Order: sequence, then C-alpha cells, then structure tokens
Amino acid sequence: MLFLSRTLPVIVAFGFGVIGIAIYYIPHASAQNLERELALWLRIVLAFAYFLGLYSLANLHWERIRQRGSGWGYSLVAYISFGVMFLFVVFNDGSGPFKPQAEAGGYQWLFQYVHVPCTSTMFSILAFFIASAAYRTFRARTPEAAILLVAAVIVMLGRVPIGRAIADVLPLASEWLMEVPNLAAKRGILLGVSLGAIATSLRIIFGIERSYLGGGEE
Amino acid sequence: MQRLMNIDRRIIFVLVFLGVAIPLLVDFYLPIKPTSTVQAVYDEIERVAAIDEGTVLLSFSYGASTEPEMQPMARSLVRHCFSRDIKVVAICLWPEAPGLAQEVLQTTAAEFGKTYGVDYAFMGYKPGNYSVILNMGQDFHDAFSRDAWGARSNTLPLTRDIRSLRDFDFVFDLAAGDSIEFWWIPFGQEKFGFPFAGGCTAVMAPDLFPFLQSRQLIGLIGGLAGAAEYEILMDRRDSATEAMRAQSITHVIIIAFILFGNAVFFLTRRRSVRP
Repeated sequence: MLFLSRTLPVIVAFGFGVIGIAIYYIPHASAQNLERELALWLRIVLAFAYFLGLYSLANLHWERIRQRGSGWGYSLVAYISFGVMFLFVVFNDGSGPFKPQAEAGGYQWLFQYVHVPCTSTMFSILAFFIASAAYRTFRARTPEAAILLVAAVIVMLGRVPIGRAIADVLPLASEWLMEVPNLAAKRGILLGVSLGAIATSLRIIFGIERSYLGGGEE
Repeated sequence: MQRLMNIDRRIIFVLVFLGVAIPLLVDFYLPIKPTSTVQAVYDEIERVAAIDEGTVLLSFSYGASTEPEMQPMARSLVRHCFSRDIKVVAICLWPEAPGLAQEVLQTTAAEFGKTYGVDYAFMGYKPGNYSVILNMGQDFHDAFSRDAWGARSNTLPLTRDIRSLRDFDFVFDLAAGDSIEFWWIPFGQEKFGFPFAGGCTAVMAPDLFPFLQSRQLIGLIGGLAGAAEYEILMDRRDSATEAMRAQSITHVIIIAFILFGNAVFFLTRRRSVRP
C-alpha cells in the first residue's frame, strides 16, 4: 500500500513534472502534440476540482445547519440560493440541462438582478471599512511610515481627477511613484516569488517535498 | 483628545456614504486626462482598425464582485472595436464571467447593428485557467470547439479561419485576479508572441508595471479611473466618468480622516511627553 500511497504519486509527479518543463521549450511537432494533450488533461482535472469545491462547500454548510452552529441561518440561505439557481440552470428556459445555456430566462435574470448586485454590494462595503481602518491605524509613527503616508496621499489624489483639479503636479508625481519606486519594488518581489515557486516545484518534482500527499512528512 | 482619537465608526461610514451618494446625484466637472498606458491600448485598437478584417480576442477574467469597476472598461473596449469595424471574439476564463460578457456584447452589438457570428462571437467559459490559453495557442478550435450557444467554431464565419492565438491581431485580458501575469504572459504572450494588453482592478495595477516596462504588456487600463480615461479618449462620457466624481470625493474624505487622525495623534503624543 505504501507504493500506491507514496511511491507511485512521487513517480507520477516526477514524470509529468520533467516532461511538462521539457516540452514547453521543445518546438518539435511531437513535443507540441504532447503538450496539447497534457493541457487537455489538465483542463479535465481542473474541471473535476469544481466538484470537490462544491462538495466541500455543501459539507461545511450542512454541518453548520446540523449542529445549529453560529450563523446556521446563513448556511440555510446558501443551500436555498444554490438550489434555486441550480433548478433554473437545469430548466434552462425550457430547453433542459443537455443544451447550451439559454440567452435569457430565470437563471440569467437571477444572475443579472440578484447575484451581480448582491456580490458588488458585498465588495463595495470594503470602502467603508478601509476608511475606518485608515483613520485608526495609518499613523506616521516612524520615518518609514511617514514616507508611506505621504506616498499614499499623493497616489490617492493623483489617480483621481480631483488631484488634477488641485494641482497638475499630483498626477505626475503619482505616475512617477508608480513607474519608478513601485516598479522596482514589485519587480524584486516578483523575482523572489518566482524563484521560490521554481524551488518549490523542483522539490515536489524530485520528491523532496511530499506534504501534498497528506499524512505529514515521512 | 482621546474621544477624537476614537471617533465612532458610524460617523466615518455616514461621511463615506454621503461622499459616494451626493457626487452621483450632483453633476460637476472634473478634468480627466488619459495616462500613457491607457493611450497605448487605444492606439493599439486603432492599429488593428487599419488592418483588413482585424480581429481582437477579449478575455473576460472577472466576476460579479468587480462588475462596477470592470464592466465600464469592457463596454468601452467593445464599443471602440465595433465603432472601427473590428471583429471581436470573446472568451471567459472565470466561471462567473459569461453573464457579464454576454450583457456587454449583446447590448453593444445592438447599439452598432453588429451580426453574431460575422462581426462578433462569444465562446463562453472553459475551465482550466492557463491550460485553456496553452490550448488556444496550439489549436483554437480544439480549445473552443463550440461557441456559447452550441454552434461549431469551425463553422462560424468569424472563427472558422482562426487556427491559433497568433491569428488574432490583438489580445486583451480583462482581469480581476492574477490572469494577466500568471496565465496570459507566461503561457500565451511569451510562448506564442502576439500583441497583448490588459485591464484590471485599481488594486492590481501596481503589480503589472514591470510587464509594461518589459513590453510584455503594450498598455494597461487600471481600474475605474482607467476606464474613465478610455471613455474620454472615445469622446463618450459614460458610467466610469460619472463614477469618477464619487471616487474623487471619497478619496478626499479618506485622506482628510487620515490627516486628522495623524494631527490628533501628534497632539496627544506632545501632551503626554510634556512634563
């Protein structure tokens, strides 16, 4: 059993990892065909991940309802909302589940006039919390914090039209901050993250990192 | 002084609410000048307009939560393409995107009298993130064998001759996640080499500046401000330009609170160190 649970996954990860890297750089037709096939497999695997996500979500809310945990009523709303949307998707404006989604109908109506406004509202509430949090925590306690505060004020004003109305120099200063110090910092972070990702990938491919197999480190 | 340090958050919420609501109801002028990155996207679409049967691929990689920020951008781009007789092929790489893309395409196509399948096509959503991009680069019909309504992509007049991503004159990704830097650039633009630009939420825009300097991105439309700049370039003020009033006033309110908080903080600290 150890072979199936440990050795085989490491062999599969090694094989597909090495092949996946190699064919990205090989322009030969056979390598390109293999890459095309693997990309298709990947799409199928990722599509099945949605079922896992759905199971995880349904299970989480079901447990909360069953145990009458905190906010169980919201979990019930999640179940009802999912059920209603699912029914309209299956009904598909009378065409049934095996035809492409209809251009109009109950699902499209629910999406445009319930889902989009509700989700946008949830996201826009962030503006209120950001304002409150900025007032309470954004303090120039140290010279570094003071620099950050000045830069934030310049960018916040420079990125909106009122900045130009106040002073022409604000948008220019904002652009400079974005194109010089921001770019330098972001590039550094991006290089660090990429090198870290390469190192982690190599550790997985060569079987050094095995935590993805579950059950803790051997 | 301590009371000023801890203003009731409801006062802040009311002021932010008024800062958003009043400018949306009251019309006043604010100067909007397009930045170089937005101008670059506009110029690229104009370049494609000069090509006979120029075709643009629009990728919708955003969901409902960012609809107020991204939808005006998508509408302006599609309007620009249709006004210059550019063909548009739309795809979705986010599961929530089809409803949003469909709304933009259908309303704008009706506005310009465009025909489905000839002037524009909607391929719908495919799961797989970057692997869909890789697939499209190798064989477009393989990645999207049918459009969103079930028609075969190799029979639609617009898509039947498209073999790969290289056949598009310009590719544009509308992103609310990391699809520009982690999907489109490494698995699309770098591998297959096509003109590429992106539009994203304001909070993501700073992350993409390194790709502008390396020319992997031709241009960038950042957030609602970028969408408003594009509307100005199009000489058609719409929802993004209108919303700039609310965004401007809200920014001023937040800055005023930050400065006020700091002023109170320093006054309190000076009093506490005084003998």
